[in-house]
Amino acid sequence: MKLLIRKAVVVDPHSPYHGKVSDLFIENDTVTGIGSNLKLKADKVVEAEGCHVSPGWVDIGVQAGDPGFEHREDLRSAALAAAAGGYTGIGVFPNTQPVIHGKAEVAYLVTQTKGGLVDLFPIGAISTDGAGKQITEMIDMHHAGAIAFSDGQSALQNNGLMLRALQYVRTFEGIVINRPYDEALGLEGQMHEGVVSTSLGLRGIPNLAEDLMTQRDIYLADYACSRIHLFGLSSGHSVDLVRKAKARGLQVSCSVPVLNLAFDDRALVEFDSHFKVMPPLRSPEDQEALKAGLKDGAIDLIVSNHTPLEIELKMLEFPYADFGAIGMETAYGLMNKALEGILTTEELVRKLAINPRKLFGLEPVSIREGGKANLTCFLPDHRWVVRREHLKSKSASNPLIGMELKGKVLGVVNNGQAWWAD
Amino acid sequence: MAAMTQQLSTRHLLGIKDLTAEDIRLIFHTADSFKEVINRPIKKVPSLRDITIANLFFEDSTRTRISFELAEKRLSADVINFSASSSSVKKGETLLDTVNNILSMKVDMIVMRHPAPGACKFLAGHIGANIVNAGDGTHEHPTQALLDAFSMQEQIGDLKGKHVAIFGDILHSRVALSNIFCLQKLGAKVRVCGPPTLIPKYIDQLGVEVDYDVRKTLAWCDVANVLRIQLERQHIRYFPTLREYAQYFGINRPLLDSLDKKIVIMHPGPINRGVEITSDVADSEHSIILQQVENGVAIRMAVLYLLAVRN
Repeated sequence: MKLLIRKAVVVDPHSPYHGKVSDLFIENDTVTGIGSNLKLKADKVVEAEGCHVSPGWVDIGVQAGDPGFEHREDLRSAALAAAAGGYTGIGVFPNTQPVIHGKAEVAYLVTQTKGGLVDLFPIGAISTDGAGKQITEMIDMHHAGAIAFSDGQSALQNNGLMLRALQYVRTFEGIVINRPYDEALGLEGQMHEGVVSTSLGLRGIPNLAEDLMTQRDIYLADYACSRIHLFGLSSGHSVDLVRKAKARGLQVSCSVPVLNLAFDDRALVEFDSHFKVMPPLRSPEDQEALKAGLKDGAIDLIVSNHTPLEIELKMLEFPYADFGAIGMETAYGLMNKALEGILTTEELVRKLAINPRKLFGLEPVSIREGGKANLTCFLPDHRWVVRREHLKSKSASNPLIGMELKGKVLGVVNNGQAWWAD
Repeated sequence: MAAMTQQLSTRHLLGIKDLTAEDIRLIFHTADSFKEVINRPIKKVPSLRDITIANLFFEDSTRTRISFELAEKRLSADVINFSASSSSVKKGETLLDTVNNILSMKVDMIVMRHPAPGACKFLAGHIGANIVNAGDGTHEHPTQALLDAFSMQEQIGDLKGKHVAIFGDILHSRVALSNIFCLQKLGAKVRVCGPPTLIPKYIDQLGVEVDYDVRKTLAWCDVANVLRIQLERQHIRYFPTLREYAQYFGINRPLLDSLDKKIVIMHPGPINRGVEITSDVADSEHSIILQQVENGVAIRMAVLYLLAVRN
């Protein structure tokens, strides 16, 4: 593969070309030339008005469906959807069937995807079958390639198990991921608890269900002197708890789902089950606090919270519909639109490409001559309308279909392969 | 009929939320005429001849189902009844499939009760027939709120500025929510009263007052609408025992006698006698529980008629 990307703005704070309009020449998996007006013969030349190029983006907490839910997503469709969303790496949650809870399951994911366009990083389960009871063989899974440990969509309830997991991963300086959510407080909850849920007669999920567990996880990580990543915060108060923990020097990080940045609970007034997601869309005040947390660094990552579901689980009466929406392919356009005037393109790239690699111990990527070609090309100012037929995911449970977004992914390069939008 | 000149602003009755104050007054005005009709020796009018109405009850109901069926028959509509216990729902059919099957048999209107909040709204987004919500989970029960407000007006006149208290299980009640929306649109002041575990935390943001003291709230109100304790919808315990509930949150005769005024007592039924209300209150001269039932038929006739003539 010989590829020439012409006149792209390099967005990579660790690169000497940061902020410069440059031509990039890529041979197989290496960037072999950077400069202006490169006169080199390539198999493909990419040139687009307003093109930006950054280290490849990484999404954490993706549901890839395989094994067990291949009708929702499989490793191939997940990789395609990731590439179309600008991601060259995805950290996949273990909520499959069987659960990714031993080295055999981790090895399956690694061997099935090795060398592909999109790197797949397994996240091993904390508990056997993700049942929240018995701790898994995490050292084995770490050696097999698991980058972190989490029960994924199943929020860990048991305090003792959480503490032991945090202590155990210190063996290999690992990191635990938890979605902070107290099941007893969220009981029968269908959406954010507030005036909207009250007027819809839907049982609410109070912010407290998240805040209490965020505080618990911070306490436990402090006690265990270990590393915790709080996945998918939605509550402004939780962001503040993380901010304070960071100020105390604790090894706490957190992420926010893109839908929670862009919408609040008023999106549900018509009982639209496509907006039924976990964590729930919260109040406008929470939404503002999430944006502020991204800006001041309290929040480290933006995640797509990609949760593919068959349409039969969404086209139902609201309380019967499942929580979740796909999001990888629309994440950038939506976050870029929602954070316009708040985060710069460089700050966005930090949340998408630099912070996740640092937090989860992934190989760093930087745009330089002789460096690995692991890149995302994107057009920050391009407006487009989401159409079902454009989406590569097997699932259609995306509330953004028909909506206009700002910012589009042009293509990705990784492992000597590339994908380009039509 | 005078109502012929006016129209509802909506083609479904999904909730009071969607109605204007004018809609509510139009329904009341039309119900007045139908109340006169049903007190005639010949109680039937031909208004909905050639209209077919399906009553879909995905949740048990006796009085609401009978009330709707009677209203439909008095308007000469053709009626089919469908209830979950005898239906394909138990075989795993989705709501949309069930309803589309019924619509294929050329049904014009659907009256639906369903355990899921928003179920009627969901249906309205996918099918063409007019839909009347006969109760969707803990969301709304608009015809109940309309008949309640209609009955209150009969007793105490214009509701503007009047004090209405709703007692009991607010958390599990669609009646409370629809009552709040309806009474507010008519200018009444609303207070809810019950144990804190059965009152939604953010209900005050709907513009209602909250109190946990039954005696104080009775002294405040002109009308007390006492709700049924929905034991069937409580999957966990929100209060320790029915005995303690009756003692501290129930309405009894000594409480009423301690007031220096006469208030109107209402209950949407079915009553748990001795729990939320004692028999000597439910059967007293204060109570208009049976008038509510009678008005229910007239209100439902008015709603069905107004939706049908709008088409």
